[in-house]
Amino acid sequence: MSEAERARANFERFARGEPIAVEVGEIERELGSLWQQASQAGGSVVSRAVLWNLVVPTRGQAGLEKTKALCDALAPVVPVRAIALCIDDASGGSALTATIDSNVVSQPGGGRVVCCEEISLVGPPGTEAHFGAIVRALQVPGVRTATLWMDAAMPSALLARELLPATRRLIVDTASCGRPIQLRDLEALATRAYPRPVADLGWLRLESFRLLFAGLFDPPVGGGPLRHASRLTVRYRAGGDVSALLAVAWLGLLLDWKPTRAAETSDGGLRFDFERDDQGQVQAFLSPSGAACDRSAILAIELVNGRDEYAVIRTAVDQAEVRLPIAPPRTVKLDAASDAELVVAALGPRGRDPLFARSLTYAARLWSLEPRSAGSRR
Amino acid sequence: MEPRAPAPTLPNPLREGLVAERIPEPATMVIFGASGDLARRKLLPALYSLTRDRLLPSRFAVLGFGRQAIDDEAFREEMRRGCEEFARRRPLDAATWSGFARNLFYQQGAYDDPAAFQRLSARLAEIEQALGLPGNRVFYLSTPPSTFAPVIRSLGQARLAPRPEPGKPFARVIIEKPFGIDLETARALNHQVHEILDERQIYRIDHYLGKETVQNLLVFRFANGIFEPLWNNHFIDHVQITGAETVGVEGRGGYFEQAGILRDMVQNHLLQVLSLAAMEPPVTFEADGVRDEKLKVLKALRHIPSSDFDRQVIRAQYAAGSIGGRAVPAYRSEPGVDAHSTTETYVALKIFIDSWRWAGVPFYLRSGKRLPKRATEIAIHFKEAPHLLFGRRAETIRPNVLSIRIQPDEGIALNFGSKLPGPAMEVAPVSMEFRYGTSFGVEPPEAYERLLLDCLLGDGTLFTRADEVEASWTWVSRIHKRWAEETAAGDTNLPTYPAGTWGPEEADRMLAADGRAWRLP
Repeated sequence: MSEAERARANFERFARGEPIAVEVGEIERELGSLWQQASQAGGSVVSRAVLWNLVVPTRGQAGLEKTKALCDALAPVVPVRAIALCIDDASGGSALTATIDSNVVSQPGGGRVVCCEEISLVGPPGTEAHFGAIVRALQVPGVRTATLWMDAAMPSALLARELLPATRRLIVDTASCGRPIQLRDLEALATRAYPRPVADLGWLRLESFRLLFAGLFDPPVGGGPLRHASRLTVRYRAGGDVSALLAVAWLGLLLDWKPTRAAETSDGGLRFDFERDDQGQVQAFLSPSGAACDRSAILAIELVNGRDEYAVIRTAVDQAEVRLPIAPPRTVKLDAASDAELVVAALGPRGRDPLFARSLTYAARLWSLEPRSAGSRR
Repeated sequence: MEPRAPAPTLPNPLREGLVAERIPEPATMVIFGASGDLARRKLLPALYSLTRDRLLPSRFAVLGFGRQAIDDEAFREEMRRGCEEFARRRPLDAATWSGFARNLFYQQGAYDDPAAFQRLSARLAEIEQALGLPGNRVFYLSTPPSTFAPVIRSLGQARLAPRPEPGKPFARVIIEKPFGIDLETARALNHQVHEILDERQIYRIDHYLGKETVQNLLVFRFANGIFEPLWNNHFIDHVQITGAETVGVEGRGGYFEQAGILRDMVQNHLLQVLSLAAMEPPVTFEADGVRDEKLKVLKALRHIPSSDFDRQVIRAQYAAGSIGGRAVPAYRSEPGVDAHSTTETYVALKIFIDSWRWAGVPFYLRSGKRLPKRATEIAIHFKEAPHLLFGRRAETIRPNVLSIRIQPDEGIALNFGSKLPGPAMEVAPVSMEFRYGTSFGVEPPEAYERLLLDCLLGDGTLFTRADEVEASWTWVSRIHKRWAEETAAGDTNLPTYPAGTWGPEEADRMLAADGRAWRLP
């Protein structure tokens, strides 16, 4: 195949969004050349758009495929230059390989397009030493860089040493924490990342429930009943301990509850005792269940104040019942967002929520109270 | 029944950090003209979308009031169809709709019947009692302008809209345009309204101000360091503001005959847009801070002298032509339109603002029906570079234009010259664009959503104040007066433009005389 034929074939594959293998040192030049061909072929100017450099470290081919699917879903909403960094234990060679592919989004009517690109770098263990330098070279200048750190199998030194210095926003997912003890690792990570905002997809998944529960205390009810809360119950899907802890931490933090004691409960859950700022006592129960749920893992938040109950209880995967003493119960929609939608939110203002970092610290503090009993989930 | 005073409530600490940190207090919205098109196409869909986005309080009711004799169920069904067709948040979510619809009610009555308002009062009290609502009320006048004063008088007589008092439930009134048909009627209406209501209770709605790009104009100007220093007569050559519609009178010939495009579009929408584009930075971003600055612009609009009237004001009517591939009739052949009508369907204006910032900078405004496409935009034309280095190639260098697209395709574009690749020093214009759709990937909320929410929150920033209305009518009424004199003198020959074109030649000549041309939006 001649050079011209090869270039033509590459362009056709690029225009279809298929990956094209390129030399690692030639990525930028190849991309420039392919976009230029796209402009000439289309007869009109092609707009390459990028609002973020998005770095996504991952491990293994399955992780890479998942990352690419996520980037494809992001492209119509937020044009990013996605840089996937994959350590592939099954990789045969010893060097890094690179592919590039396009994401072209047509507007209705087909008149205008926004184009962005994905760059994938794959190599065997050890090649991650090169990732930092490559990312620095591939960052689109003047555009912020976010790192999506969701694969617990990635070496944390890569993030700490190589990627964090280039990162303006760190995105994590507490739902991928298999055990609550990892909250402390995350807290350490957030501390290290400071002052960069840390966004958590798990925290954003909680937002639907937080909004509904907070809404119970809008006027005319107001925050009064929260001041004298005596019992809190968070029901969650078994395995979603981290989400449940974050939900309790959110309330404890905003209501200024001081955690004093933790104990395991007979249903396999946890009980925390708190002291309110008026020295009153609050008991909080984290209660696991086998009921169906979305990835937020929260099934219900119930708060008791004397004889009154304020609750948001999931009645279906996408519905909840809202209960408060002064009105009949009502059914409301529970929003569920895809991971791509959550990443979009994390790249926006919702990804700068300082309450997450404070809640994470509080949740880690709660976990440190947990009794060291047999069968502990540590 | 007197509304119950709500018990004082403590702030809700759990709102910290959530998307909506402020949620309106529980309230009832009474929509007068509830069986009309606006309620079905805009108001209820906006309220539904706000509910879906959890921006309304959990306890919120809508009571429709209209002449049509229908019951609650029929009203709910009609509004469901409207929401299904027009709500931004579609398809309807069954659970959300069910909760929303449960609190929709309807009351039949005439706008000038005191007994109907007594029944309305009783029904409101009954609904508020049943739903535990504290008596906060918003009255939306989606009715013909002739009913504004009678409805507000009736609200006063039925004690439904008491003046604001600390610790008491609120009563607010939203009034649709047109607010008067000239200066005298606007003043009279303001006077009648103020007999019953405090100005703080009145929300004169201009849906253009609820559009995202119009609000972004303030952010663009005052949150970016690089534009505001250029925003004056040292750097800006002229400004063009266009409000173009493809539609004709759409069966409202009778109404439009009385209104004309100057009343229908310019007095409210375009002068509001102009005032936001031209105003000085407000001291605060609070309602009166912004409105004070807009008012200064409206008061600084130079009255057009008689000697320059024909050079600065062009009116015209559309003749038969073609829009969207189909033939359309001339304005004078539209149903409900006088065959010898002198009502303008197009107007182009050359306006000066007498201020230090804008001295010598013309603002060209144009608005028309049956133009080739629907587009509303502000185009800031900057002055040419003071010295052109590129010899004959300079002919291709055009002054920079910053265009702010209000609808459709909301966004901002900056045109500038760029060197063409190659050995020669050739210059070509290029465009740098920002579009809401592609940059943020979200559909901006409907203007009515933002405005209804703001009213419920008591924020009047995006509503028009009485003195603004009177200032704009003061300026516009002089043009109407001159036209009336011309008609009385037998001058009834308006220029025409074929439907589907960008207006009459006279409008092009107005700019050509200044060495300029209309920009194609």
